[in-house]
Amino acid sequence: MTNGIEFTLNGTAVVFEGSATARLLDVLRDTYGLTGVKCGCKEGECGACSILLDGRLVNSCMVAMGRVAGCDVVTIEGYAKTERFKTLDAAYAAVSAAQCGFCIPGMVLASECILAKNPNPTEEEIRDGISGNLCRCTGYNAIVKAIQIAAKEGAGLW
Amino acid sequence: MREISQSVVKKDHGPKVDGSALYVGDYPTQGMLFGKLVRSPHARAQVLGYTLPNLPEGYFAVSAKDVPGVNQVHIVKDDSPVFADTTVEYIGDPVLMVVGPEEREVNRLAAETVVEYAPMTPELDILKADTVFFDYRFGSGEVEQAFEQADRVYEEAFETGYQEQAYLETQGLIAEFVDGKITVRGSMQCPYYIHGALAKALNLPPDRVRVVQDVTGGGFGGKEDYPSILACQVAVAAVKAGGKPVRVVYGRREDMEFTSKRHPSLCTYKVAVKDGRVTAMDIDVLFNAGAFTTLSAVVLQRGIIAAPGAYRVENLRVRGRAVKTNTVPTGAFRGFGAPQTFFAVEMMMDHIARDRGEDPLAFKMRHLVRQGDATSTQGRYHFPVPLPEMVAEVEAMSGYSAKHNAYEQPQTGRFRKGMGVSLWFHGAGFTGSGERDLIKATVRLHKEPNGRVEILASQTDMGQGIKTTLCKIVANELNLPLDQVAYENPDTDRVPDSGPTVASRSLMTVGELLRRAAITLRGQWLPGVDQVVEEHFKEPDFVIPFYLETFQGDAYPTYAWAVCAVEAQVDTLTGVNEVLGAWASFDVGTPMDHNIVVGQMEGGLLQGLGYASMEQMAADNRGRIRNNSFTDYIIPTSMDVPVMQVNLHVQEYPLGPYGAKGAGELPLVGAASAYMAAMEQAIGENIRHIPFTAEDALDALSARQKEAQAHDERN
Amino acid sequence: MVNGWNPSTLREALAIRAQYPVIPYAGGTDLMIAEEREGAYLFLNRIPELKRIVREGNILRMGAGCTFTELLEHSETPALLREALALIAAPAIRNEGTIGGNIANGSAKADSALIFFVADASVRLQSIAGERVLPIREFYLGRKKLDLRPDELITEVLLPLRWLDSYDYQKIGARKALAISRVAFAGLMTVENGIILHCATAYGAVSDVIIRRPDLDAMLIGKAVEQAKALKSQYLAAYAEAIAPTQGRVSATYRKTVCLNLLDNFLKKFGV
Repeated sequence: MTNGIEFTLNGTAVVFEGSATARLLDVLRDTYGLTGVKCGCKEGECGACSILLDGRLVNSCMVAMGRVAGCDVVTIEGYAKTERFKTLDAAYAAVSAAQCGFCIPGMVLASECILAKNPNPTEEEIRDGISGNLCRCTGYNAIVKAIQIAAKEGAGLW
Repeated sequence: MREISQSVVKKDHGPKVDGSALYVGDYPTQGMLFGKLVRSPHARAQVLGYTLPNLPEGYFAVSAKDVPGVNQVHIVKDDSPVFADTTVEYIGDPVLMVVGPEEREVNRLAAETVVEYAPMTPELDILKADTVFFDYRFGSGEVEQAFEQADRVYEEAFETGYQEQAYLETQGLIAEFVDGKITVRGSMQCPYYIHGALAKALNLPPDRVRVVQDVTGGGFGGKEDYPSILACQVAVAAVKAGGKPVRVVYGRREDMEFTSKRHPSLCTYKVAVKDGRVTAMDIDVLFNAGAFTTLSAVVLQRGIIAAPGAYRVENLRVRGRAVKTNTVPTGAFRGFGAPQTFFAVEMMMDHIARDRGEDPLAFKMRHLVRQGDATSTQGRYHFPVPLPEMVAEVEAMSGYSAKHNAYEQPQTGRFRKGMGVSLWFHGAGFTGSGERDLIKATVRLHKEPNGRVEILASQTDMGQGIKTTLCKIVANELNLPLDQVAYENPDTDRVPDSGPTVASRSLMTVGELLRRAAITLRGQWLPGVDQVVEEHFKEPDFVIPFYLETFQGDAYPTYAWAVCAVEAQVDTLTGVNEVLGAWASFDVGTPMDHNIVVGQMEGGLLQGLGYASMEQMAADNRGRIRNNSFTDYIIPTSMDVPVMQVNLHVQEYPLGPYGAKGAGELPLVGAASAYMAAMEQAIGENIRHIPFTAEDALDALSARQKEAQAHDERN
Repeated sequence: MVNGWNPSTLREALAIRAQYPVIPYAGGTDLMIAEEREGAYLFLNRIPELKRIVREGNILRMGAGCTFTELLEHSETPALLREALALIAAPAIRNEGTIGGNIANGSAKADSALIFFVADASVRLQSIAGERVLPIREFYLGRKKLDLRPDELITEVLLPLRWLDSYDYQKIGARKALAISRVAFAGLMTVENGIILHCATAYGAVSDVIIRRPDLDAMLIGKAVEQAKALKSQYLAAYAEAIAPTQGRVSATYRKTVCLNLLDNFLKKFGV
């Protein structure tokens, strides 16, 4: 019987032996080496640390480890192995949506959640879906366009 | 569209999207030491001494006395210390750094360090500040005469506030000192700036200093000079670290509160109008430089050069000062002095037009500079000025005139709308003779025996895509597939100094050098042989040399141009204002990649709109910046400007690669005044400061209502 | 778990709460903002009793552990609450933030709490010793001060639905998303056959506690619309005195002016 926190991380069962109050963001980066999960503010205001928790978008900086017991955590590293990612990747590439890149892993996961909810989202739904992901480089237009392209090209995937 | 403008998949796209790109904070930290700066809580004080807490084994501290070379950071005038020594000059001024193997422990020890201060009275008011760092004057014509003969003289003062770059990746560097050589890597715009600073602070010859750029998550000027300061601090720690790397990666709050920002300004315009024309401008520009000079000389230069705007002003007097206050030193931010003065001049022209009962756009267009005209510093606009065509483009995109006329009619509903337009330029490249006399850019192309070509230059990609666009240029001249041309993040051990990544110079100036180098290589190409070609900057012949002493000549070889229309709405119940649409046309010459350039234009435009409204940052009456988080420093989200359209107007610059001009900064510079002109129409009151908040709007609406009532009562 | 408990029933949770000095963790989105955090957390996300949403007559019983997203996705959630929840922060925060946590933070800026105030909702507080149901107005004692005993958990919000369909809601923030309220207004008014059957207003983010003055709103209840119009300036004057805003990121004067503007606008919306 373990005192650790059992959860699934990018499809693999893992046990975290540290404090239940530790920040998920820190644990993902420092314990599991998943540096695709970025830290932009550590206050839940920028979305750079976005991950999927049981399929829902959350800011990993706002999650304590005890919360993820028994849950499914997916970071950009895990998501990047999926078919859906390939479609988003190609869409983002087509409009050169990645400028400095720091917001992008979070944006990609937010994109997934938008399309999972509605495979044919309106522009307003897209903008609302990424409203918690701050980007300083792009002005957001290219990212919105990328999600629209993915919706079109990824017919059937979502 | 030229073939080269056709968009390609960016060279650094893959790792950024799949999360594998390594920024400086992503490197495994085993074996590294962490550093934490201890900062002054006083805006101005004498440093009497400090007491460290008991430091466990492996923990140490460094301060001014540990600086091996000169306790100065080489930027321009070198008055910023590496560590504050006998005085502190702003809240946050670093006095020492605590270093050790556990980050939490380092932070605790830093918090427990006691520095003894004798507080002094800080100077926080630019109007009262008595230390003038820089004072420039220039002008032409007969200003006094013009004012005497004027039909009307207008005088107004305009204020702009701080703006924080708010790059998503905070500042961070790792320094390592091994075998007498210092290596610093991390998030930066100018590896060779840091190189020079380290050599001076550590008293090392150039070949014992190495600087490497990591993937950088945004800069916008905020990583132009600041990293030189942090680098020296981390390097001093590294020298004492017994060969272990020392890592400092800022949290958001530390970054927001203590790193460089846009200069707040106060610009006073006195304008003479005769027979319906502006005949003279007497402009006073005052910039808040903060505690040290850093980049203020050049920011001020660019700001005052732009002060008369895109208008012909035959009689001109400009005075610019950058003064010291005991606040965080201000520095570079996209636009570099021009956003401040373009806000002022555009609003001024708007106000004069309205006072005359003239349409602001028509009034402005009557004064536009044309090819051949003198610039503000008696240089020349050597190339066509496409503003009239661009105005037509923006008109077509936005429906400006119809909306502007409609909103000019009295509005009575809860929501009032307005339509504003602004016109501006951005001098392409480094101001004055800096490119020729200071930077002296060198680039190299290294062709491997297998035919792969590597670009060796010190430009940094911080999101603006130069990794891709510079390679496109070289690939194009050498007729190679793009994946046969490489550009790595610069490492000063491997690349020559092609200058800093600033001033919208990288694509235009360095890109052109690379194009010529590629042509040379093409002519000398030997299959199967290792070859290196080098190219050096040469100032174009047509440029009228600029002299700082007289402040005359071509400050820039050419200009990028912009026109922007903004439709805005204000809620009369709450003052909340928003942008309903922003439409702009930008001339940056030939785009080296359509998507990349459009992305830059859209991003910069949104930053300019944020500057006008929501991005509020102020120092309190103690000199402390209170909004130091993303919660309190408000930048636009995806919801805030849903309608934003950008057009690229291509006016090729013959001396830029395939006609390209400086692009990066242009889109931000004039956006604020278009937004505020729209707000003026919606509210019916003149606006003279930014950021213009909901509270400001409500106050203005209230003032307008009182005036209207008084008017009604009189009649 | 080290430094944490994750019970799977409410009973378990209350027993732990009574026995150990734990910090209840619902969504974490307020708790986790602090850089340094001490103590042990009582994770509430696995407790089914806290996730229940049940309509009983004209009361909607919402478990305190319901996230904003869960409520937005539930068919029983009334439109007014939906509007307020949809404007909270951004999707990632809404996916974890809970109404219990929103209340427990004790802030007058809490967006869902404003709706609970205007609707005269109640909160259920439970401990191993028993339970209490308090009108939410009585639960807030002051800025960040709640009538919550050390062994209690907020388990439920009881929301009266009767008057909620006819409303006005305005949130004033610094931008359109990720915005903390600087002024927030919620108003309910039902007019039937020219008579005002109900009137309730509440003002968020302007003072230490959300402002709710049913005694002032009572001025208009039972009145014909024309009578109410005659009383309007008195009513507004009463609120001008009652609303004493604190200075924050915007000035007290601004807050007051906006509150009164929104109140006036609300009245106009319903013909007063």
